[in-house]
Amino acid sequence: MNIIVCAKITPDPSDIEARGDGSISLERAEWIIGGFDLPAVEAGVRLIEAHGGTLTVLSAGPRPIAQSKLKKDLLSRGPDALAMVVDDRLRDADTAFTARVLAQAARKLDGFDLVLCGEGSADLYFQQVGLQLGELLGVPTLNAVNHIALEGDTLVVERDLEDEVEVLEVPLPAVLSVTTDIHEARLPSMKEILKAGKKPVTEWSLDDLDLPDGSGNQSEVLRTSAPEQARRKQERIEGGPDEAAKKLVEALQREGLI
Amino acid sequence: MDFRFTEEQELLIDSLEELLQREAPEQLMAELDERHEFPYKPWQALADHGILSLGIPEEYGGTPADIQTLTLVCETMGRHAFSLAIIYSLGIITIRDIVQFGSPEIKERVLTGFVQGDPPVALGITEPQAGSDAAALKTRADIDGDRVTFNGNKMYCTLAEMSKYILLMTRDPNGENPYESISMWLLPTDTPGLRYNKLAKVGWWCIPSYEVFIENASVPLDHLVGEINRGWPQLMANFEIERLALCAASVGAAEASYNDAVAYANQRVQFGRPIGSFQAVQHILTDMAIKIENMKHYIYKIAWMMDNDLPVRAEHAMCKLYVARASCEVIDSAMQVMGGLGYTMDHRVQRLWRDIRLMRIGGGTDEIMYNIAGPQLLKRAKLA
Repeated sequence: MNIIVCAKITPDPSDIEARGDGSISLERAEWIIGGFDLPAVEAGVRLIEAHGGTLTVLSAGPRPIAQSKLKKDLLSRGPDALAMVVDDRLRDADTAFTARVLAQAARKLDGFDLVLCGEGSADLYFQQVGLQLGELLGVPTLNAVNHIALEGDTLVVERDLEDEVEVLEVPLPAVLSVTTDIHEARLPSMKEILKAGKKPVTEWSLDDLDLPDGSGNQSEVLRTSAPEQARRKQERIEGGPDEAAKKLVEALQREGLI
Repeated sequence: MDFRFTEEQELLIDSLEELLQREAPEQLMAELDERHEFPYKPWQALADHGILSLGIPEEYGGTPADIQTLTLVCETMGRHAFSLAIIYSLGIITIRDIVQFGSPEIKERVLTGFVQGDPPVALGITEPQAGSDAAALKTRADIDGDRVTFNGNKMYCTLAEMSKYILLMTRDPNGENPYESISMWLLPTDTPGLRYNKLAKVGWWCIPSYEVFIENASVPLDHLVGEINRGWPQLMANFEIERLALCAASVGAAEASYNDAVAYANQRVQFGRPIGSFQAVQHILTDMAIKIENMKHYIYKIAWMMDNDLPVRAEHAMCKLYVARASCEVIDSAMQVMGGLGYTMDHRVQRLWRDIRLMRIGGGTDEIMYNIAGPQLLKRAKLA
C-alpha cells in the first residue's frame, strides 16, 4: 500500500499573544506538528506495519515548517519519507488553497492508495481540507473516521456519529479524515529519532507544482482578534454549603444570568 | 560556546517527557511511594520505549547514546519521577561494568533482559563494617574446581531481592593489598543460601534496600566478571558516571521542587497579596534558581568532559559534592516557601525532601568527595 498522510505544521496555539489593541501576535510562537494530525500518522504507520507498503508524510506551509528538528520529529514517528511544499506564499493559506497545493503535491508523488488527514488543523480547525482534497483528487472521501481495516482491496471504516456508528466499505484509492480516537500517536524512541535524519525528504516550492490558475485563497481574512478580556469581579462567597449556594444563586440572579 | 543540545537530544527529551506524563504521572508515583511499591509499570514503559537500551551495545538490543544524552535522560526523569531516575541511575554502574568486563554469556543474559525491562542489577559492595571504607569488605569467594562459594553479608544493597542479579564484590583475605584482592561476580538473587532483610528508610520508599546474608551460596566459576582480583579498578571504572547520573537525577528533582514553589508563590495569598510579591520569598526563589543553573552547567560540563575522554577524577567529585548539597538546599527551600502545605503528605515536595537527602551519603559521601578532590587539586597545583 502507498499511503500519504497530510500533516500541518503550525505556530503553537498556546504561544499566541494578545496585544493591547486586541490583535494577536505569533512572533514568539514555536512551530509544532498539529496534534490532530499525529493520530493520522499513527493510523498510516499501523496500516503499513500490518499490510506492507510505504508511508509518506506530506506537509505544506511557509518557511518555518522546514526546520530540521520538525522534519526529524515527523520522520521519527514511523513514516518512510517526507515531502514538503515550502513557500511563504502559503502563510495564511485558506483551506481551498491548501487543498489544491496538497492535491498537486500528491499527484507528483509516486501514486497513492490512501490519503489520510487529521480531523482539522491545530490552528484554525476548519475540518475542510481532507474533504476538499478528496474532491480535487476525484476519489471517495470521508471524515470522522475512527477505525480503518483493509480487507482485500477495500477499506472497511467506521464513523462514530452522534447516535450511531456507521460502518462503510470504501474502495481504494480514497481520502479519509480521521478523528483523534483512531489511535494514540506513538512516542518516538531514540532508535527512531536517530533513523529519522537518514530518511528521504523532498522539498518543493509552489513554482514546482504547476498549479492551475486561480489556485490561491478563495477567502479573505478581514481581521483576527482576541476576545475581549472580561474584568473579573473576584467576589468571594463565604459560609457553609447551603448558605453559600443560596448566596451564589442570588448573585447570579442579580447579574441577570439566571 | 554553543550551549544548545542536538536536535536528536531535544526530540528524545520531548518524547521522554510525554512518556513520563502518560506512564508515570505524579499521582501514580505518589501512590507507589506511599505503598512502598516498586514502579514496575513505569519501569516497563521505559523499557518498551527504548530508554533502558540507551548506551548498551546494539547486539544486545541497545541504542548508541553519549554520556550527555544519558545525563539529560536522568535529569528529565528526575524532574518528572525522581524514583525512576534514581533506579535508572543506580543501574548504570552495574550495567556498564557488565558491558565492559562481562563475558559474552554474561552480557547476553544480563543486558538482553535489562533492555526488555528487568530491574537493574544490584550492587553488592557495602557491608556492616565497610561503607566509605569499601575495601574493608570481608565477603569471601572460595573456589573449588569449577564452582565458587560465597560467604558474608552485604548492607544497603538496593534492589537486591527484586533484581535478577547482584554484582557481588568479594575479597581474598590472604591478599596483602586489599585493592588488589577484590573480585567481581554475577550472583543470581535466587541462589540458595541468600537471605534478605528489607530495611526501613526515611525515603526511597519504592526503591527497597536490603541487608543480604550470604551463606554457602554457590555458582559456577564462569560467573566471574572480568578478572580475579581486578574487581576494585573494574568497579572504579564506572563510579564516575554513576555519580554523574545521580547528580543529573538530583538536578531534575530540585527543578521540580522549584517549579512547585514558584507556582505556589504566585498563587498563595497572604496579607492581601501573593506571597511571591514579598522580597523575602523572591530572594529564596532567586537563590534556588541560581543553584539550579549552576548544577545544570556543572553536570553538562562533566558529561562533555567524559564524552571527550578528559579525566574527571577531581571534577566529578566536586560536582557530586556541590550538586548533592545544592539540591538538598533547593528542595528544603521549596518546602519553606510552601509552608504547611509542603510539609503535608499531600504534596510531592515532602517526597522529594525525604528522597534527596540520601544523595549526600549514597554513591560516595560528601566527605569522601572531599577526599577524592582535595589531594588531586593539591597535586595539580604542585605540578603547575
